[in-house]
Amino acid sequence: MKNLTLFVILAFLLPVTVSAQQMGPVTGDAENGALLFYQHGCYGCHGYSGYGRQDLNNTGSAILTNEVIFRAYLRGRQNVAPLLPSTAMPNYPANVLNDELVSNIYAYIRSMPENLPESDEVATLRAILESAQEPYTP
Amino acid sequence: MSNSEDKSNDKSNPESPKVGRRGFLKGAAAGAAAIAVTPAANAQSPSSYETTLSAPTYQQIERDTGMITAPSPDRSVLRPGSDLIVQALKDMGIEFVASNNGSSFEGIQESIANYGSPPNYMPEFITCLHEETSVDMANGYGKAEGKPMCAMLHGTIGIQHAAMAIYQAFYSGTPMLLIAGRDDGFIQAHTANDMAAMVRPFTKWDAQPKTLPECLDALHEAYRQAMTPPTGPVLVVIDMEIQKEEARDMVVPAFQPPVIDGIDVATARDIAQSLLDANNPRINVGQLRTPEGVAAAVKLAEVVGASTSTSATQGPMSFPQRHPLCGPGADTNNDFVLGLESESPNISLFRPTVESLTQSRDDMGVGFGGMRTNVPASGRGAPRQRPGTVMSIDAEGSIPVITGEAMRLISANQKSKIEARKANHASANQSAYVAALKEAVAEKKKGWDLSPVSTARIYAELWPLIKDEDWCLASPSNFSGGHHRQLWSHNKPYSYLGGQGAAGMGYGAGACGGAALAARGRNRMVVNVQTDGDMNYTPGVLWSAAHHQLPMLTVMHNNRAWHQELMFIQYLAGVRGRGTDRAHIGTTLRDPFIDYAKMAEAYGMAGEGPIEDPTLLAAALKRGVESVKNGEPYMIDVVTQPR
Ligand SMILES: Cc1ncc(C[n+]2csc(CCOP(=O)(O)OP(=O)(O)O)c2C)c(N)n1
Ligand SMILES: [Mg+2]
Repeated sequence: MKNLTLFVILAFLLPVTVSAQQMGPVTGDAENGALLFYQHGCYGCHGYSGYGRQDLNNTGSAILTNEVIFRAYLRGRQNVAPLLPSTAMPNYPANVLNDELVSNIYAYIRSMPENLPESDEVATLRAILESAQEPYTP
Repeated sequence: MSNSEDKSNDKSNPESPKVGRRGFLKGAAAGAAAIAVTPAANAQSPSSYETTLSAPTYQQIERDTGMITAPSPDRSVLRPGSDLIVQALKDMGIEFVASNNGSSFEGIQESIANYGSPPNYMPEFITCLHEETSVDMANGYGKAEGKPMCAMLHGTIGIQHAAMAIYQAFYSGTPMLLIAGRDDGFIQAHTANDMAAMVRPFTKWDAQPKTLPECLDALHEAYRQAMTPPTGPVLVVIDMEIQKEEARDMVVPAFQPPVIDGIDVATARDIAQSLLDANNPRINVGQLRTPEGVAAAVKLAEVVGASTSTSATQGPMSFPQRHPLCGPGADTNNDFVLGLESESPNISLFRPTVESLTQSRDDMGVGFGGMRTNVPASGRGAPRQRPGTVMSIDAEGSIPVITGEAMRLISANQKSKIEARKANHASANQSAYVAALKEAVAEKKKGWDLSPVSTARIYAELWPLIKDEDWCLASPSNFSGGHHRQLWSHNKPYSYLGGQGAAGMGYGAGACGGAALAARGRNRMVVNVQTDGDMNYTPGVLWSAAHHQLPMLTVMHNNRAWHQELMFIQYLAGVRGRGTDRAHIGTTLRDPFIDYAKMAEAYGMAGEGPIEDPTLLAAALKRGVESVKNGEPYMIDVVTQPR
């Protein structure tokens, strides 16, 4: 467990990215995971679909490599409150999210659709990029 | 000001509560009606007053609710004092008086409505549903225009409703004229001996004149105080007697605008010489005071060919973002940097801020609460020193002196070098802008098609619709992602009006209303990306916007929560090991959801939504922009991602 925690910490600190092929299997129920993702307020920082203050989609984050690492990460967050309010990732001990529920949330995260259209194909984004060429008028 | 009662340094105020002239004539009966105040030995301490509270009298309530007519006057007033007060406001160019009506200033209100030709113009009475809105409006206007408008408050209670908004304007250093009506003959609970004391720690200056001539002087001085660094809100308490007295042939003295000092010529010459001698000078530009200051900064940069920085994406009155000189420049190795309300390793000019008033006015320790400039923004940690030589002088007042000296000192040889450098800066800055925009677009399109709508998409869809309009983003943008910073070009002194001042929620909607007041006669439109929590403190501003036909497009960032607080509670529950599934308690706006299109409709504003499908957004925004351009404010409720 200790080694795993260390690995998770390292995985978080180092700019390690993991490709889709390297990722572990999904065993949980994504549908239930979606519900938990809402109920436990994960959307608060990660958006309803994995884009937000802290993206989950396509980040290649090592934390999402497999269920074991993901679970260790949730369990290994800070558990002493600093005096200042914080919007950092909360801690999730087993008594509030058991292993099965964690697997379900993991399954939901892994099922999140990518949504990054080509800029050229979206009129608004094209217009924004074109506007950069317009001369400055005071 | 010569003879009015300037309370700014008067902390003791040991007098017992005075009986006003009118109250005196009415005798003890009226005095006993509402509150009997018995000053005890130590009158300085509020707790040493013995107060007996009793309800307003039957007659007072009757009159307040309009059931009886006021007693006939003992003389007919041909030229009421309040006409002269309104004339003074006209002379100072006060365009608007935002107010929720109250009898303590009924003289002034009646004069605004009926005096002058045309009446109710310069100033126009802006009907507000809450005093917090009145002051937030004055704050939005002041930030956009760099000059005061007026908010008028009803006695003690009006000042208390206004207090948070005044507090935030103080933090922002927004020039603003507050008038409070004082009527010690009517409902006693609405008056106080020194009602300005309630907001003294967070106003720059206040006065309670005793006569009409003193009052006119006080208003003039108030304007000058508000506009002179440290800029900020000022308060004049005006007694009913003054408003209603017969002014006969009294004249309103000519208004003398403030004279704001800049640096001395010798120092200006040194700075100008350094800018001219440098191979690659730079000017860092922070928040100046007025549009004229911004224009002066542009001229200085053009004369000496300096690349510049800007804070225009953070707040008002800074260098135009897309000006060819604004950006990193062709060479980021700068051998001389001048800071104008911004830091520099060499020389910077910073005007005094309201922080400097803590000694004279701040009994409550506002300064301790974060006014100080030498502490890190986060509030903890060691004092931070500004680098280089820091001069405590108004940058805006200094720029024309520096420019004048530079124009006098510049040689033909320097001129041609400067022209070449400017061309290099222009192309480098353009490339840098395009590169940054590309990067931003790649980032902001994440989750583009997802529902609820991404906050970035709101700003992205707005930009093509407003970029050719004269626009002002008046809402604080941090909670909705601040995406305009990367996607929009902030070229006007009022492009973005910045944050709340003291992070107090409820400011946004009112400030947007005030910015829209400024915009209305100037062919400008205000964009309000409105968080839902903020909207619900003083939603009545929607009615004011509809009533006064303010050009304001409100787009809800409706995340159905006080989301910032939700995240805080989540973290705390997490570290306490109790799970985050109950963090929504007290932090979310669900069960039921609030329907903002209906809210707008109830207040008489056109609107639509809730929009959850992002593909419907652009068309709705287009309708909104069209409506606002036609003089009708518009509300679009967009259900959004939380951040
Ligand atoms: C007057 C006031 N009351 C309470 C707070 C505490 N507070 C800070 S952020 C926030 C939530 C604001 O909600 P909203 O405006 O909807 O923005 P969101 O965080 O949801 O994007 C609150 C209540 C405050 N800053 N000011
Ligand atoms: Mg909200």
